[in-house]
Amino acid sequence: MQDQIRDVLAAHGRMAVDPSEVDSQADLYELGLTSTASVNVMLALEEAFGIEFPDEVLKKSTFASVHNIEQVIEGLVKSSA
Amino acid sequence: MPRAVAVGLPEPAPQISASGECMITLPGEVDEYRVRVGCDVVAIEDVQDSLAAFGDRYLRKVFTASEINDCQGPNRVHGLAARFAAKEAVIKAFAEPDMPFPLREIEVTRDGPLPLLRLSGAVAERAQHQGWLSSSLSLSHADCHAMAVILVVCSQAESE
Repeated sequence: MQDQIRDVLAAHGRMAVDPSEVDSQADLYELGLTSTASVNVMLALEEAFGIEFPDEVLKKSTFASVHNIEQVIEGLVKSSA
Repeated sequence: MPRAVAVGLPEPAPQISASGECMITLPGEVDEYRVRVGCDVVAIEDVQDSLAAFGDRYLRKVFTASEINDCQGPNRVHGLAARFAAKEAVIKAFAEPDMPFPLREIEVTRDGPLPLLRLSGAVAERAQHQGWLSSSLSLSHADCHAMAVILVVCSQAESE
């Protein structure tokens, strides 16, 4: 799952670094992820995983690291199964 | 020459640091009302790219129907970018990074030439909890960027 998340970040995150080389706990905002780019990342993740981010997870911390994104997606995938 | 001071405000008491420098800590209150400010700047190109990549899904996720309707004509993308900046400025004014912020619950409306802020849902409830009483919103844009500043006046204490 982390590889898919990193692919989405590479395509839509507009970060200053290569997401494939970013530690899963690294702060993505400090690495250049902006609020506008995080919306694109969210929409692309919805397409990639066939999920929809509900209002309650639309917080800054959700997109703050690869690990955080993975945790939220895993929860959404489980709840939709 | 007299110093310019805000009318009706007590002057902050200066303190002396360990190195002998004069320091003042400015209060975050005006006449005991708390004041919050948020600002944000958005690249027009970023919004153009979002529209090109996700189209209506992007619009429906971020903007209300009223906001989409208000942004028409040649400056459509600039208007959308300014509204996105306003939403982010409001989020910053809340100063609660772990709070969910559905962007459609933060809406820019218009009263003639003036932009106004309208909150709904959980965001409106949180504003009530923080004691938000009134706000003043300013939007602007150039060819490349749009920006927003929000000033919020809050009651003297948060509600429990």
